[in-house]
Amino acid sequence: MERTKMTEPIIVAEHNIELDEYIIRDMTDEEIKQRKKDELESELKMQQFAEAAAKKAEAEAKLAALGLTADDLKALGLG
Amino acid sequence: MPTTTNYGWTTPADTDLVKDGAAAIRTLGSSVDTTTKNLNPQTTTGAIAYRSATSNVNTSLAIGTAGQVLTVNSGATAPEWATPAVGGGLTLISTTNYTGGSAALTISSIPTTYKNIYVLWSGFYPSADTGSIFLRVNGDTASNYVRIGALGQQYSFATSFALNHWTVPTFSTNIAYRAVAWIQIPNYATTSTGKIIDSSFTTIFDAATSNNAGATESALYIGTSAITSISLNTGTGNWNGGVALLYGEN
Repeated sequence: MERTKMTEPIIVAEHNIELDEYIIRDMTDEEIKQRKKDELESELKMQQFAEAAAKKAEAEAKLAALGLTADDLKALGLG
Repeated sequence: MPTTTNYGWTTPADTDLVKDGAAAIRTLGSSVDTTTKNLNPQTTTGAIAYRSATSNVNTSLAIGTAGQVLTVNSGATAPEWATPAVGGGLTLISTTNYTGGSAALTISSIPTTYKNIYVLWSGFYPSADTGSIFLRVNGDTASNYVRIGALGQQYSFATSFALNHWTVPTFSTNIAYRAVAWIQIPNYATTSTGKIIDSSFTTIFDAATSNNAGATESALYIGTSAITSISLNTGTGNWNGGVALLYGEN
């Protein structure tokens, strides 16, 4: 029998400074919806960063194969 | 009878009789005494005199209290002592110690009695690399935030003020390497306009250099309610501890 996977509750830590009271609570349904959107946006940005880093590494490898560095390109006014 | 030029004291005439000299001197002395007293009405230590509405009659102003300064009254008719308004400087409103394990950190019930607020978040970092962290005010998740970039850059409205790529610091056990963010919101309590949110923060991941770095970013929040809460959400994982100091400025 397949078991339903339990998900960890997502916690919000709130400090009500008027009462100096700390509230630790689960996210509301509305907050969880927004959280999922945030996670997607965050993942997308991570992918973009990873792709940019990979492209940079690839370009650097090509330069290295030609015996050039990024500083050489800058010297040529291309960097 | 002749009189003096400035104060009009009566003096004996050249033709007055010598026998009337004593009375004349007494009259003149009395006039001098009266005028002198009118010009120096102070009776207590530290009191000062200023001109009243009547010529040659001054008014006494008693000494103020410690720290007071001499100023002009609201009717602009007389000097008075007043306690100087407190200006500038930051007041520490609250210290929030987070113990970690939460995806969102919120400071709520921020008093609206200051002109500007500042938050110094320090010693915190996400438990996993995250593409963005999300700063929101008043729990507002509507498209009411727009990042402000360099001249010529335009950003569309978003559901948060999303700060760039944050990573788990390489040396996260060393508190010196953990994220520090300084967020300032001038005129945060206004209910008639949007607000600028300025931030300076580390640690973000700079994909171009593969180094952790800092950045300064601003956003316009178009909500018109006074800002009474500020939240910082991770995009992935939880926050690991940290301290938030909230300052107010008048």
